[in-house]
Amino acid sequence: MAAASAGPDGVRSGEAADPAMDETGNANANGAAAAAAAVGEPEAEAPPLPGLQLVHQGAEARVYRGLFLGRAAVAKLRIPKRYRHPALEERLSRRRMAQEARSLLRCRRAGISAPVVYFVDYVTNSIYLEDIVGSITVQDHINSVQRSENDTSSLLTLAEKMGEVLARMHDEDLIHGDLTTSNILLRPPVEKLDLVLIDFGLSFISGLPEDKGVDLYVLEKAFLSTHPDTETLFQALLKSYAATSKKSGPVVKKLDEVRLRGRKRSMVG
Amino acid sequence: MELTHGLELFPDCTVTILLFNHVKNAAALRKKAMEGSIEGALINPAMIVDPFQILVAANKAVHLHRIGKMKTRTLNAEIIFSLSPNNNISDAFKKFGISDSDTAVLIVLVVDKEKTVNLGDIVTQVEGQQVSLNELPQLTDTARVKKMYKVTPQEEKLGTLLDSIVCRMSTKDVI
Repeated sequence: MAAASAGPDGVRSGEAADPAMDETGNANANGAAAAAAAVGEPEAEAPPLPGLQLVHQGAEARVYRGLFLGRAAVAKLRIPKRYRHPALEERLSRRRMAQEARSLLRCRRAGISAPVVYFVDYVTNSIYLEDIVGSITVQDHINSVQRSENDTSSLLTLAEKMGEVLARMHDEDLIHGDLTTSNILLRPPVEKLDLVLIDFGLSFISGLPEDKGVDLYVLEKAFLSTHPDTETLFQALLKSYAATSKKSGPVVKKLDEVRLRGRKRSMVG
Repeated sequence: MELTHGLELFPDCTVTILLFNHVKNAAALRKKAMEGSIEGALINPAMIVDPFQILVAANKAVHLHRIGKMKTRTLNAEIIFSLSPNNNISDAFKKFGISDSDTAVLIVLVVDKEKTVNLGDIVTQVEGQQVSLNELPQLTDTARVKKMYKVTPQEEKLGTLLDSIVCRMSTKDVI
């Protein structure tokens, strides 16, 4: 994981394997093999674009960085799950990609900052997005502020901003599905607290307070487990969420309910 | 003068964009384009805000052409169609193609490496002055573009008009 954080700016130090890379961008043995070997897959293929650098390998996709039509771009290639029936795999991949593209557009239309979609390739299951150059994840930012013991009150403002953005997103009935601090970027300069939401691969549309509550619950769990002693921060986030969103009442109520249930999201099966 | 860019995903392909102003024979050019006797896609520069917009359209068109999934019949037609935010082909031609009264014309050529393109040939067919693509912003009808792509006011604060446009172009088949 240390290798991931030491990468170029804006690298999401996320879950799964280390993105150890050699020159051609192929994930090497000790790193991503952990994810791939588990599935019994052949090792990583060469990047789709020359000059693309492997930046991160998650469970769902490999993320590359490079130039696309002269612009700094991020290419997300979905990793095929060979254990699935091919027809199912194709349909699922396509659906997830379509969801991601749709959600990104929906965000933009509502004035929520998210990367611009440059190109969607349903053949190789890859999506080419705007690269927010020089950005850092909120996760990295919080970590660095906490480590340097700087003015942590700036983190409160950050939490408030996050609450605002999420409220606007939920008001559009858009559920992110994978809210963590590594899925929110800070556009440079960091002081401006210009937030960009990324990774809508698990997103969907829903007006249900239950779904929004769960979305927030996921963030709460991720937040509190990744960043120790941040209960007040998350509370500030919720307060700002409640103040910004017109439909927040039932959502916060559901959040309380979900908390009482414990870790597992039962019911949906 | 003209702008040439390679398509990273299709290394043997390059896209060349030419811009002409004070064009007098738009009607004849349009006829030639419909007959297929002029190389390249003829586009109305008023609807284009940046060459990147063209590159994105060309990229998508070439991709669909390669996998045999174009919605239109020719690569050039597909480029024009890809510019449109909706899936109505004739509407795309009407709005993004050139009309008889146009005085500015943008020509897009997609060439494979083996084929050498004769730009001079095309330039002579146009009764107008070839200008640098730096002049494109002067020819853009921003209001019309915003209306066509239905750019929301919240979106305008988010990023450039080009960002909004490209997003719609690339996601129009899923929404």
